[in-house]
Amino acid sequence: MAKNLSEKFYTVMKKLEPRYPSKKALILPALHQAQEECGWLPAEVMEEIGEYIGVHPAQIREVASFYTMYNLKPVGKNHLRICTNVACCLRGSDELMGFAEKKLGIKCGETTADGLFTLSEEECLGACTTAPAMMANDDYVESLDVNSLNDYIEKIKQGVK
Amino acid sequence: MPKCMIDGKEVEFTAGENLVKVAKRAGVEIPVFCYHPGLSVVAQCRMCYVEVEKMPKLQTACSTMATEGMVVKTNSENVKKGRAGTMEFLLLNHPLDCPICDKAGECDLQDNSYGYGSAYMRGSEERRTYVDVNMGPVIQKNMNRCIHCTRCIRFGDEIAGIHEMVAIKRGNDIDITTIDGKTLQTEYAGNYSDICPTGSLTLKDFRFKKRAWMLKKTTTVCEGCSKGCNMEIQHEGDVIYRCVPLENLDVNRYWMCDEGRFNYQHTQDPTRIIEPKVKAEGGWKTISWEDGILGIKEEIDGQKPTFLVGSDLTQEELTHIKEYIALQHPGATIQHFGTPGLTSTQQDGALDQILRMKSKTSNLNGAEKLGIAPLMNDTIKADTVVVMSAGRAKLPKINAKRVIAVGVYLEGDASQFDMILPGLAFSEKDGTIVNHQGIEQKLKRAVLPRGKCKSLSEVLMLLTNKKARVGANP
Repeated sequence: MAKNLSEKFYTVMKKLEPRYPSKKALILPALHQAQEECGWLPAEVMEEIGEYIGVHPAQIREVASFYTMYNLKPVGKNHLRICTNVACCLRGSDELMGFAEKKLGIKCGETTADGLFTLSEEECLGACTTAPAMMANDDYVESLDVNSLNDYIEKIKQGVK
Repeated sequence: MPKCMIDGKEVEFTAGENLVKVAKRAGVEIPVFCYHPGLSVVAQCRMCYVEVEKMPKLQTACSTMATEGMVVKTNSENVKKGRAGTMEFLLLNHPLDCPICDKAGECDLQDNSYGYGSAYMRGSEERRTYVDVNMGPVIQKNMNRCIHCTRCIRFGDEIAGIHEMVAIKRGNDIDITTIDGKTLQTEYAGNYSDICPTGSLTLKDFRFKKRAWMLKKTTTVCEGCSKGCNMEIQHEGDVIYRCVPLENLDVNRYWMCDEGRFNYQHTQDPTRIIEPKVKAEGGWKTISWEDGILGIKEEIDGQKPTFLVGSDLTQEELTHIKEYIALQHPGATIQHFGTPGLTSTQQDGALDQILRMKSKTSNLNGAEKLGIAPLMNDTIKADTVVVMSAGRAKLPKINAKRVIAVGVYLEGDASQFDMILPGLAFSEKDGTIVNHQGIEQKLKRAVLPRGKCKSLSEVLMLLTNKKARVGANP
């Protein structure tokens, strides 16, 4: 059965299954797990998940495209998602986005040529108390300003982070 | 039976009925977009707001079941405000291109906007636009007009049995489309256009042909197969523009297949034979009805030709043919034909899980009930053969000296014939047909016969007369 997904994926799914009332509820964790393995969600992977869960691949794709944290395109090694919702916007996220675009030489939604960075816009990260916030892969970077964002990107570039 | 109050009227209901249905019975129309009686309930368009006593907020009528003693108001200030708000949201991105939209005149969005919306538009933002995919030969897509009711997605999944429409992304960026932009696969694609409450999915066949309000509507039955789906022929000036299914919960529910929907086209085909014709050197010669009738009388009077009748003829026509044979040609063979390889209702059955049947003619059951024997082979050998059919029955191979045909034929079908008298198609005549369940249904004339076509009964009457006196066209 496994074509694009590893045996580990299926073991994790087996373990998670009893937690939920129906197998359909596994769609979100399955997508997370698959994304962890592949970095993003290619169409074949979503098809395989659909087959495993027993729903039409179209439904998997509807779910995956609904949430912004599933990547439907390949992303760079470091995925920077800058929150642009109300609180962060009021605290200058537009400025941060503009700075990041200029610094990395890419537009929001694009990946750098060396594959190191992907920059995207994110809906509310739930970190309004420490706005403006950014998510870098699985880490939160909060209370940002242009200087600290610059430092953060530099550190990644030098391989410190 | 339990009762509830809707706008001060007491209505009975059965358990599990939602407020839209109950209100309809009370004569109260609740506006809906996403709700469709034949599909599952999702309550996402928020148009069917009603006020229910003892419930703090407005409720969606489609997802609220009636309960004993429930008091519902569908016209309070609160409800009006809620619906106007919903309408305002739905029109935020709608292009309002009604002047060039095929749906205009029969559009739920237009009607509900007129009935419940505001006359004033506050929005000044740019409207979103999409590049549309090609959805195949049946449906034209226009995503700009879409209000994301998801009826099409649910129709594909629940009725057509193929989940081919999907909602990609969310919120303002949502796109209702096919998977990977593929073309539609289902044989029931026309229904997408019927259930779409806006002009997002329209029929390519009907595109820019006629405004909806110009069309006259005739209730009739589809002749495409032995299912007998109820439908409406929409026509103007004796031209049929389209056919749409009508609700009949015992037969076709709310749907119909594309084959049946576009079956009317053969009646308007430019190659349809609409004048009496006789085979002559190098093709066909048009003759008068007198000559045609006299010619046939000469050939078959006092003889016993073999009669082949299509199981697409009505009960009335088949009865007349039987009476005519008993009177004029006693002892002559009469056999019905229709679908190759299918000779009786026992062999008939469902072609898919939805509507279509194996028998491609509408009145197989009726022909059997009249005691007409089927043609067992796909070829027939005889001296003289008289073929009578309404154009839907598939012709067998005829091996005879003379073949006389009465009915609806295209030039392509006619190569086997020596003489043709043009008859009426299903859209041009009244009659009764019996579907596979044994339900008798009525065909109704929607348009006048084309050219010089005459009804089969008139042809038989002329053949019976001593003198062929042919009157004016009907």
